[in-house]
Amino acid sequence: MRTLKPLFVAPLAATFVLLAACGDSTGPRAADTTSLKPASCSGINLGPKPAPLTLSQTTPAAMRVLGSGAETARYTAEIAVRSPTAYTTTWGVRSVQGNKVNIWDVSGNTPTLVDSVIVAASTTTGDVAVSDDGKLLVVATEFSPGSIVLYDLTDPRKPALVRRFSNDETAPGVHTAEIARINGKLYAFLAIDPGAGRLSRLVTVDITDPRNPQQVYETVTGNPYVHDTYARDGLLFVALWNDGMQIWDIGGCGTGASPEAPKVLGTVKTANGEVHNIWWYHDASGSKRYAFVGEEGAGTIGNSSRGDIHVVDITDPTQPKEIAFYHVDGAGTHNFSVDEANGVLYAAYYNGGVRAIDVRGDLGTCTAAQQDVNAVLNLTRCNLRLMGRELAVGLLDQNRQVYVWGVQYLGGNVYASDMLNGIWKLAAAK
Amino acid sequence: MVSLRIWLTVTVAALGLARDAVRAQTVSVMVQAIPLVTRADPTATRSALTEGYLTQPVVMAHAWYGPLQAIGTLNLEGLTLQRGELTTGGYGEGYVDRRHPHAYVHELLVGAAGTAAGFGASIFAGRGFAPFGSDDPMVRPFEKYPVNHHLAQVLERVVVVGAVRRGPVIAEVGTFNGDEPTGPGSVPKFSRVGDSWASRLTLLPLAGIELSASLAHVTSPEIPQGHGLDQRKGSVVARYAHASRTSSRYALVEWEQTGERDRGVLITKLQSVLAEGAYCRAGASLAARIERTDRPEEEPLLDPFRTPRPPPDLSNLGESRWTTLTVSLAAPPTRAWFVTGQPFVEVARLAVAPGDPAGIFNSGLRYGTDRMWMFSAGVRLWAGMMHGRMGRYGVAETDAPMQMAMGTPSHAAESDTMPDMPGMTHDVQMATSPRISLISSCGP
Repeated sequence: MRTLKPLFVAPLAATFVLLAACGDSTGPRAADTTSLKPASCSGINLGPKPAPLTLSQTTPAAMRVLGSGAETARYTAEIAVRSPTAYTTTWGVRSVQGNKVNIWDVSGNTPTLVDSVIVAASTTTGDVAVSDDGKLLVVATEFSPGSIVLYDLTDPRKPALVRRFSNDETAPGVHTAEIARINGKLYAFLAIDPGAGRLSRLVTVDITDPRNPQQVYETVTGNPYVHDTYARDGLLFVALWNDGMQIWDIGGCGTGASPEAPKVLGTVKTANGEVHNIWWYHDASGSKRYAFVGEEGAGTIGNSSRGDIHVVDITDPTQPKEIAFYHVDGAGTHNFSVDEANGVLYAAYYNGGVRAIDVRGDLGTCTAAQQDVNAVLNLTRCNLRLMGRELAVGLLDQNRQVYVWGVQYLGGNVYASDMLNGIWKLAAAK
Repeated sequence: MVSLRIWLTVTVAALGLARDAVRAQTVSVMVQAIPLVTRADPTATRSALTEGYLTQPVVMAHAWYGPLQAIGTLNLEGLTLQRGELTTGGYGEGYVDRRHPHAYVHELLVGAAGTAAGFGASIFAGRGFAPFGSDDPMVRPFEKYPVNHHLAQVLERVVVVGAVRRGPVIAEVGTFNGDEPTGPGSVPKFSRVGDSWASRLTLLPLAGIELSASLAHVTSPEIPQGHGLDQRKGSVVARYAHASRTSSRYALVEWEQTGERDRGVLITKLQSVLAEGAYCRAGASLAARIERTDRPEEEPLLDPFRTPRPPPDLSNLGESRWTTLTVSLAAPPTRAWFVTGQPFVEVARLAVAPGDPAGIFNSGLRYGTDRMWMFSAGVRLWAGMMHGRMGRYGVAETDAPMQMAMGTPSHAAESDTMPDMPGMTHDVQMATSPRISLISSCGP
């Protein structure tokens, strides 16, 4: 259980004095309610500075498992849920190649497989997304021929193939495909694998008319990979591996940039690099100052993984700065989902199960004891674990090996895709 | 016929001038190819496959001009082996359970060797082998490459290799580009030359015996752009070779370890132990090899024999551990016109088990079993004098005396044509003589 002790005392400096003297988990905090429209992107209101918040460190609870649905012929990959239906993709080759998208009824506690779709000429259907209006399902395929496959969801349980989009740019493999609506148009942002003699790249496709998708932009980017993107409110956050996280204006800043003509606002190289995925967090107070960055280090699938969650302050989008991190010994993060109303980040953590982290309030202010100082990088960060923000852990109590690829929070539940076992439904952390 | 022989092995001394008055030129050219049939039962298709190839089609050329030497090996497997050669357990460069075709420019180096104050020294630069591990499997007594090829050799890099030899001790150090070839015609990343290094110390305690230990640090071999896993490699090799006019014996024992690291953190540790031996008498030879090697498992493509290059991320699927016993029997060679042919058969029995960590590797899912066979039959064809000991340059070449005895008889006198270098000791002279292969015939 977490305890919340917000206090409101004026001077911030006095807070540190008090904390140092008492070693306690309380502190004076005054929320900055000033909205922020950065000069570099006046079209975006980043809202107030997150309110100060002090927690005491407790033992994380176990997330309650409600049920599971098995997939043992293939390795399960990403998950997308639009209640009461969930879609899980498949990866690599188990007894069968990962060319299937499973369709689950998740209305009850136990997910039930109701149908599936086979995607021809693919060994991995690594990413899946549902459009904001629920009308379109987009599946990314690897490897060559890389593509996105668009399905009509008029019947959500019976996706109907509309069109498969591939071209020379996507040929090496589409690792992820994020979709977002910008100025009324629906776009897919494709992270393309490097190929023989070819560098990784980002391709943007206008899928407003899914029968006639149009590539509107492409660029070589990522070092050596671009693995994922996150689009929201006209900003695109791009995961560029060892080149860090980059923020693009794709129409949100009001500067004339668009998905067809994006403009780079800023870049941050987070500690350890290997930037894999991103979530731009809009908290319940309206603050939009933080982006969560997933680091995907090297591991052994099924056994081990590495990589932290990094918190980046984007108050100045031209100079984003890493302020905090979350680390799990012996495990590394993969994809995220955030319960923004309650301020809980859920992270797939491969062999580390599912992690629930309290991300409410100010994540960049902590005591000296909660800080990590990296002299090499000249970087001081708050350790979210030491700040008492680790709420709960899921799936490590199931008496079987798990390797969790993706999570999605929806309506009080957390859905997790597990490469080894299939799909899980858990109750959200309390 | 005469002109062809001249083309194959040309010794031009002085070109009209007295031999003693000028530095002699020597050019040695060898052409080889192996028509081969292999049956792998089962393989990655979970069924048996039988295929035929023209494998190891190579043209090797060595040239000397005084202390200068040029080495070239043109490997044409990119034309004949694009799908790879069935080699259960083998892996590397985007191939799995098939050996990948090597780069067209397998070796292309120039260098110089000399002696002073009892030391021999040489320096070579070009594309070739880093001073690490054991000889290239192509010049060893088996057609099939061992599983440990990518643990035991570092090749087809742009290298600068220096070597110093005094008596029975040889020290080599080299620097090179870490990126491995991405295809037969791929061009090395010249901007990365110098990002990797290797060194090898060799001891020759007794005639025919060679002990060596080597280390290498290879930066991001699998991602040409860099930022992939780095490899720290170690190798210990003991080698024995002895030959008389009618027979020869050869043995090699090696241990290799490769640690794959992400930002310095060990991710995967791969080890190999291999022992092999050969006995050749009156032209016929019998060879046997046993090895146990860890293989990193990777996500396959639609073609189960291929993996993505570069890989899409830094993780692997675990390790498999291969135990392989290979026996090879070769008949005495026969010669027609200028081509020598030596028929052979090879049989390999393989067992695969989960490695450490096993990850998600499952032999039953991949092969339908954990025991396999490979049967191969072919004819090694060559013209010219076989070259050998691929992987060492200049004064680091060690066994010229033994090789001379095993060399193709028609060219056995070639060493006599080598010009002496002023002040050169006998050992150093041997080290700069033509490299003649162990796998060429023994006996009259």
